[in-house]
Amino acid sequence: MNIITLFISPLIALIVGMLFMGISRKISARIHWRYGPPIIQPVIDVIRSFSQMSISHGKFFDFGIILSLTGSFVLILFLPIGELCPMTSGGLIAFMYLMLLDPLGIALSGGVAANPNSSIGISRKFLLSLAYEVPLLLILIAVMTHYNTISLVYIVKIQASSGWAFSSWALVLPGIAYFLILPAILGVRPFEVVQAPQEISSGPIAEFGGKHLAFYTLQHALHMFVGLALFVDIFLGGWTLFGLLNPISGTVLGIVLGIIVFLIKMLVVLIIGLFINAVYPRFRIEQAMKYLLKWPTLIAFIGLIIVSLIN
Amino acid sequence: MDRNQISKWLKNPGKMANKYSFHVVYFCTGCGIIEIPPSITTRWDAERFGIIPVATPRQANLFLITGYVSTKTLKPIIRTYEQMPDPKFTVAFGSCPINGGMYYDSYNTITSLDKYIPVDGYIAGCMPRPEAIFIGITHLWKLIDMDKADGYKRYREDYVHYRANQEQLFGELDWPPLFSEENIK
Repeated sequence: MNIITLFISPLIALIVGMLFMGISRKISARIHWRYGPPIIQPVIDVIRSFSQMSISHGKFFDFGIILSLTGSFVLILFLPIGELCPMTSGGLIAFMYLMLLDPLGIALSGGVAANPNSSIGISRKFLLSLAYEVPLLLILIAVMTHYNTISLVYIVKIQASSGWAFSSWALVLPGIAYFLILPAILGVRPFEVVQAPQEISSGPIAEFGGKHLAFYTLQHALHMFVGLALFVDIFLGGWTLFGLLNPISGTVLGIVLGIIVFLIKMLVVLIIGLFINAVYPRFRIEQAMKYLLKWPTLIAFIGLIIVSLIN
Repeated sequence: MDRNQISKWLKNPGKMANKYSFHVVYFCTGCGIIEIPPSITTRWDAERFGIIPVATPRQANLFLITGYVSTKTLKPIIRTYEQMPDPKFTVAFGSCPINGGMYYDSYNTITSLDKYIPVDGYIAGCMPRPEAIFIGITHLWKLIDMDKADGYKRYREDYVHYRANQEQLFGELDWPPLFSEENIK
């Protein structure tokens, strides 16, 4: 069973991530009053990228993007998708360490390419990661303190019996803070500073073509999945649905229904994020940092104080 | 449009994906670029067919040259074209890249783009309407189906000839040849 989940959960993440990218392009198009591409357009793009020749700029250029993709795949294994979770040990601490592999790999590859736009993009990527990881750390510490555990699976299990974290008043402030930094984690507007095609020629991936670009697209899909899934797992109760699924949890039907409920919750969060993405313009990097280090950090910090006081 | 025919996808996925995922580098040389914003935004919405603009030539597979090509801008055009990964397609837009158009006797404008880089198709007109772009794209689909959009292959086969033409115009070029002798064969 465990070996099967090792393969199933990255596969689900990949398929759903690609599908979410397609859905997001379609919804953005509908908001612009356009018809929009078909939902499988990102898959077509990936097939095209794989069919093209790619230019390599050295061994580290290839290695960096592979490292980033592998890091994202490993990250998926630590994440409960519904009731599936291949790696139950480690929990949030391992999760936070592995989250660094994604910008690191892209930075390695973009740095070797020696394109000035890549270098600007990498510096922005690290600044943005630095800015959103401070509030993220505070949020995760608040959650871990409140539930008295570092295990993601256990956090979801507690929520199944006592209701979503977002509805218990102690974790409302960290939840709001996470939602405020969610666009920065997903890399969409108003925090699209890293890619910024009109400004720095799509930043770190300016030199990526062919297979490198295909791998990057897959990695981006996985990264999007991770950002959304972590929010759903911690604050929206993972697979739980007001206690309706509790009696059949553990059975095959329960697992399948749990995954479906989980993905629907992710879709709702994604669509709310897309509305913000479609309406707002882009921050400059210093504005983004100022915002991220001010409001979400403040809210998360107050949340952490409240949580530690009532514990 | 045969985007939904699964048998064709299974037969040749690379070709089908190249047809329905044009990532375009727009080279804004002349007035032609005016027609591009309406075609990619709300009114005509080129993204229906998977056509989106990208920022760098590395990620692109369609090169759209919109308008007259002066001698000075030909250098970046050649370098951009050489940076795009195979398979790649070039479409020249407007009458100027075909035969010079209204700049036919200008001292600093080239009259025929096809002498310097291979062009897969032309969209004639001064200016062509956005509808003409879509008609051009459908023609390009047909050419890809019949394997006739082979500009990138011609560039490799006749590289000596193209390079000679470029050197005739510029004198010495300040970048090394893209293909060496062995690569051409």
